[in-house]
Amino acid sequence: MSNFTAAAAIDESKQSVMSVKWTRRKEVAREVFSNPLTVLGMVIIGAFFLMALLAPLLTEPNQPDAYQSPRDWANIDSPPGIDGHVLGTDSQGGDVLYGIIWGSRLSLQLSLTVVGFTLVFGAIIGSVAAMRGGRLDNFLMRLVDVFLSIPELIFALAIAAVLGPSFRNIILALAAVFWVKYARIIRGEIIRIKQAEYVAAARVTGDSTWNIYRKDVLPNAVTPLVVQATLDMGNVVLIGATLSFIGLAQAGLTEWGAMVSAGQSGLLAGEWWVSTFAGLAIVLWALAFNLVGDGLRDVLDPKTEGR
Amino acid sequence: MQVRDYLIRRLVLLPFIMLGVSVVVFTLTRFTGSPVGIYATPNMTPDEVAALEARYLLDQPIPVQYAAWLGGLLRGDLGWSGVSVAPVTAVIGDKMTATLELALAAAIIAILGGIALGTIAGVRRNKGPDHMARLFSILGASTPTFWFGLLLLVPFYLWLDWFPLGRSTTEIWNSIGHPTGLYTLDAILAGSPAALLDALRHLVLPATVLAFGAMAIIVRMMRSSMVEALSEEYVDAARSKGLPEGVVIKRHARRNALVPTITVIGLSFGFLLQGSVAVELIFRWPGLGQWVTSAILSGDQATIMSYVLVTAVIFMTVNLAVDIAYAYLDRRVVLGG
Repeated sequence: MSNFTAAAAIDESKQSVMSVKWTRRKEVAREVFSNPLTVLGMVIIGAFFLMALLAPLLTEPNQPDAYQSPRDWANIDSPPGIDGHVLGTDSQGGDVLYGIIWGSRLSLQLSLTVVGFTLVFGAIIGSVAAMRGGRLDNFLMRLVDVFLSIPELIFALAIAAVLGPSFRNIILALAAVFWVKYARIIRGEIIRIKQAEYVAAARVTGDSTWNIYRKDVLPNAVTPLVVQATLDMGNVVLIGATLSFIGLAQAGLTEWGAMVSAGQSGLLAGEWWVSTFAGLAIVLWALAFNLVGDGLRDVLDPKTEGR
Repeated sequence: MQVRDYLIRRLVLLPFIMLGVSVVVFTLTRFTGSPVGIYATPNMTPDEVAALEARYLLDQPIPVQYAAWLGGLLRGDLGWSGVSVAPVTAVIGDKMTATLELALAAAIIAILGGIALGTIAGVRRNKGPDHMARLFSILGASTPTFWFGLLLLVPFYLWLDWFPLGRSTTEIWNSIGHPTGLYTLDAILAGSPAALLDALRHLVLPATVLAFGAMAIIVRMMRSSMVEALSEEYVDAARSKGLPEGVVIKRHARRNALVPTITVIGLSFGFLLQGSVAVELIFRWPGLGQWVTSAILSGDQATIMSYVLVTAVIFMTVNLAVDIAYAYLDRRVVLGG
């Protein structure tokens, strides 16, 4: 009987915890959606995702490699609107609109792979450092210091240069560099949270370190990571595009930075469309994630603005 | 003395971090296997290749190779730059001063512009100037430097021909001495208005492009710390003393808002260094960035790695300087970790 009531009480308290969680989530969602700029960013992101998903339906994939623009040798350097080339063609007769559409797939692939991997890897390293402390923490944080003492783009540039020019190597290079920030952020958060009373309380009840980490520490430490990851979805594409612009992607790839680079000579001859449209795609992509990232930060984590 | 302890700790750690950077850089050079391919030619016999390997210690274990490489580094031997056809140390100084001049000019634009714009935005919160500053900073964070460079290149170079490409007009450059290597400074030292004008005409466009991203960060930070400072009690106190609003903003609010802004200046210097790669490429600025891009295209490892090392040293030095400035400006700050 008493067992039964205790179980019921636990059930009830679990339920109320769940309902508090849900109310809080609803509140956060309402606040996020009440900012028109955040919504604008989400709409742009949604449009890009759809574009990437539907690329084969929007334009017929080029054979054998869909990530090389089909060449229309009869229309080299045509301005927008001629012979079905809505945004014009480049000096090889490559269709600019095709490049932008298939480029969105590359941007999505780049950002999801790099941010996904670095978020998880960085969170693991940072968590291990913060939970274990001592010499391991010291060693890992000095490693982080070493990585942080070389500016991101320059580090990635060196790695990609050593691996050789290809888009895949740009992804590898960025993945090798970007995890550091996450490790550092989550370590700081965890060390702060570990001093909170509810963690001390959990320790007194004899809960295992892993359980405390999983139930009490991690859920409270992820907020700044979510904000950073959203901003990085844009940053990673900006830096990736810079690396391709410099010449670290394979030639003729429908990557936006590589397209801006390919349009450079045309630009000086008055053929403005290749570089302009490809560059606009990069700006829109980065802008959208910056708008959403800022919006999330304002709601979830207002104190870290500008960090 | 907490501040002093912290700075001593930073100074002691610095060589170890630099050592760490050197390990990372060395590992990179061995990433794709033995670099003997750079020196070997297709018609060499296996014996000749083996002799080459022995000469560059490539037949030794990796730690021995690293020690030899580090030894060379400490003696000032950074290897042979294929793209410059000269030892790295013979050419890197000029490239470095060229990049530093560009980055410092951009830093001046970004810091002064960022503080001014951020102050106005913070004071006129949620009004027109604030919205403009917000738009400016979000565009600065979203626009690729290389694209912004091309956007400005077309009107100002191609159409109006106001600003030339490169760093200098050769005859004017040759007409003065170059004790510092910074063209603007050398022109002032030589007392030559023609050279100063030439230096500035070449510098304005790339420095402006480079400054954009860094300025966006500074505007943002300055705005939010200005908003915070204006809500503090000492500002109310100053106002209630009857001080004019201009004095309250300049002497009281802005001075305090500057302290947190300084922390992002070091960070934004990293943006200036990495942005200089694309800017130098577009504006034909003969600095480290242009040097490293040509090295990448020809697989010149010694140049690439020297570039990474030098950039890391510059970046660490700037960050240390910023930390020192911050520590002295704000004694309340708790340093560590």
